[in-house]
Amino acid sequence: MTQKFVNHYVAQIENLVKCYGDVRAVDGISFQVCRGEVFGMLGPNGAGKTTTVEIIDGLRAADSGEVTVLGMDVKRVPGRIKEKIGIQLQSPSLLPLLNLEETLSLFASFYKRSLPIDYLLDILALKESRKVFVKNLSGGQQQRLSVAMALVNDPEIAFLDEPTTGLDPQARRGLWDVIEDMRRKGKTVFLTTHYMEEAERLCDRIVVIDHGKIIATGSPSELVSRYFKERAIRFSVNPTPTKEILKEFPGVIEVAIDGEDVLVYSDQIPATMSAILRYAEETNLTKQLKDLHVRQATLEDVFLKLTGRKIRE
Amino acid sequence: MRTFIKLLVSDLKQFYRDRTALFFTFAFPLLFMMVFGLAFSDDNGMSYEIGLVDEDRSPASEQISTVLKQVSIFNVEQVDNLDQELVRLRKGYIRGVVVIPDGAQANIAMGKVSSITVYYDPSQSTSSSIILSTLNQIANQINQQLTNQPVLIQVEEQSVQTHDLRYIDYLVPGILAMSILFLGLFGSLTMVERREKKVLKRFGATPVGRAKLLASQVVYRLILAIIQASLIIILASLVFKVTVIGSWFELFGIILLGTLAFISIGYFVVVRARTVEGAMPIIQLVQFPMLFLSGIFFPVEMMPTFMRPVVNALPLTYVADALRQIMVQGVPLNPMWLNVAVLGAWLVVCVTLAIRFFKWE
Repeated sequence: MTQKFVNHYVAQIENLVKCYGDVRAVDGISFQVCRGEVFGMLGPNGAGKTTTVEIIDGLRAADSGEVTVLGMDVKRVPGRIKEKIGIQLQSPSLLPLLNLEETLSLFASFYKRSLPIDYLLDILALKESRKVFVKNLSGGQQQRLSVAMALVNDPEIAFLDEPTTGLDPQARRGLWDVIEDMRRKGKTVFLTTHYMEEAERLCDRIVVIDHGKIIATGSPSELVSRYFKERAIRFSVNPTPTKEILKEFPGVIEVAIDGEDVLVYSDQIPATMSAILRYAEETNLTKQLKDLHVRQATLEDVFLKLTGRKIRE
Repeated sequence: MRTFIKLLVSDLKQFYRDRTALFFTFAFPLLFMMVFGLAFSDDNGMSYEIGLVDEDRSPASEQISTVLKQVSIFNVEQVDNLDQELVRLRKGYIRGVVVIPDGAQANIAMGKVSSITVYYDPSQSTSSSIILSTLNQIANQINQQLTNQPVLIQVEEQSVQTHDLRYIDYLVPGILAMSILFLGLFGSLTMVERREKKVLKRFGATPVGRAKLLASQVVYRLILAIIQASLIIILASLVFKVTVIGSWFELFGIILLGTLAFISIGYFVVVRARTVEGAMPIIQLVQFPMLFLSGIFFPVEMMPTFMRPVVNALPLTYVADALRQIMVQGVPLNPMWLNVAVLGAWLVVCVTLAIRFFKWE
């Protein structure tokens, strides 16, 4: 392995397998994370995201496969790796009777080097609640504290597990700034998220996993253009036409129906559009036809197409 | 070291902020000692209620009555109705009934044996034996006076203790032992709770070692043990004038050793418990027999012989005995080296087993 190669990748995952009983939670996953990128891992609940991340972090042992982080083997020197990475766990409960500042200061003491507490409180907008006991923090504050704890040792790689869940839009945007700032400083962020908008905006590269396997890799725009030459027409109507009827319309490539919401992917938008309108007139549903619009395919569409489910299901 | 001190300070801060923990660790043993200590505080000048029925009503019986009334440990009430008095005895209002039968003086005058009847409740074994032996002594004295025999041999009572042991002197080391038991056994619940709530998992995501996490918990408990014991000893000396006779060094040595032993027992018994709800009953199951069978509230001698093997197996017996020997120089149950050895053995065995089987996640 050349020095350049080691420098380029901060994490290499080879053929990772983890089983819980008969369930293959992680089923032969391989990928690399490059230095200085925001790397996204997407997948529906139960796809194996958390298990994968926890194996990379050294919190869980894999059944087989190789994980190298910052050039070190996770199985051999987990302690040295933990010194240089930051981990945010989903909703950890901490020591309820310590205040926010004390909690950060305690965690800072676990590492050889750490960032100033004031700086962390500042970038995560926690300054005003620094003296609040952890048990009295709001959900959003706890969420931001858990991110602050992941950043306390100024890590080379920050593993953030759904960091913006439960945050209001303003706090979410604030956290995006923090992540983009890390990238500017040459740090690596490994992000798992439920928000496609977030992944599209932040991530340089994405892997989509489902049932423990990688089903797609690439940048968000690559993924969209790879899977969608077409665009999407979206509307809602009650009762909805069947998939079979819609597939007969000119230009239609794929149809997805979710309750009253209909999503039609088409490479001939005008022809498909007029077919839909004609159908509505013929079946007397013009008044029920709502919210008809055309849009570019997004990462969400890719996700739906690849996994057959919405990500938040 | 910086990490260790941070962890320790964090634990102490949390303890200080937790009112429930504060109460149960510091106020509860003190309250317990006050309640028990005050309830039995007149133990030293304890007197037994005795009913006296004089059926003879003669100068001789009058004399006997007077002697009885002068006995300091008897609180004699002279009554006429024997049946009523026996009912009071059965209900436990009085401890004994003495009857001087009709014709006592006549018998004495004729040089015949005259019996005095004593009713007592054998279920009250301690008080009954004291009453009976006291009455026998009185009877002997009266006999000697009546027969004018010279006293040739007299038993002089001398307590083996350098000072008289009151109940409170017995109780205070017991309360100390009890609080060590609680402090140690319940210590492992913090770890179970942190495991259950994934705090340990979050710690595990940092480079901090498990040994440090554990060591800070143990040292934190030892600090609490010292504060707690000091408070108990201070209050006991202020309110009940209980003084520490033996060496302070040995006293705190046993307190620390006992706390360590119970911490390790606490960790060992919950190795398989997943939740605090699951661990709690196990700890109570361990704690309950010790509370009552280790001689912390009443002497082990009062327990039936067949219970002795159980008593001897419980580590609290040795803590209580060691503390009692050092504090008030009570009658030793075991030699001191045995107390220390047994506690040390419990400590080593449970630490080994706990390290082997304790699950962190």
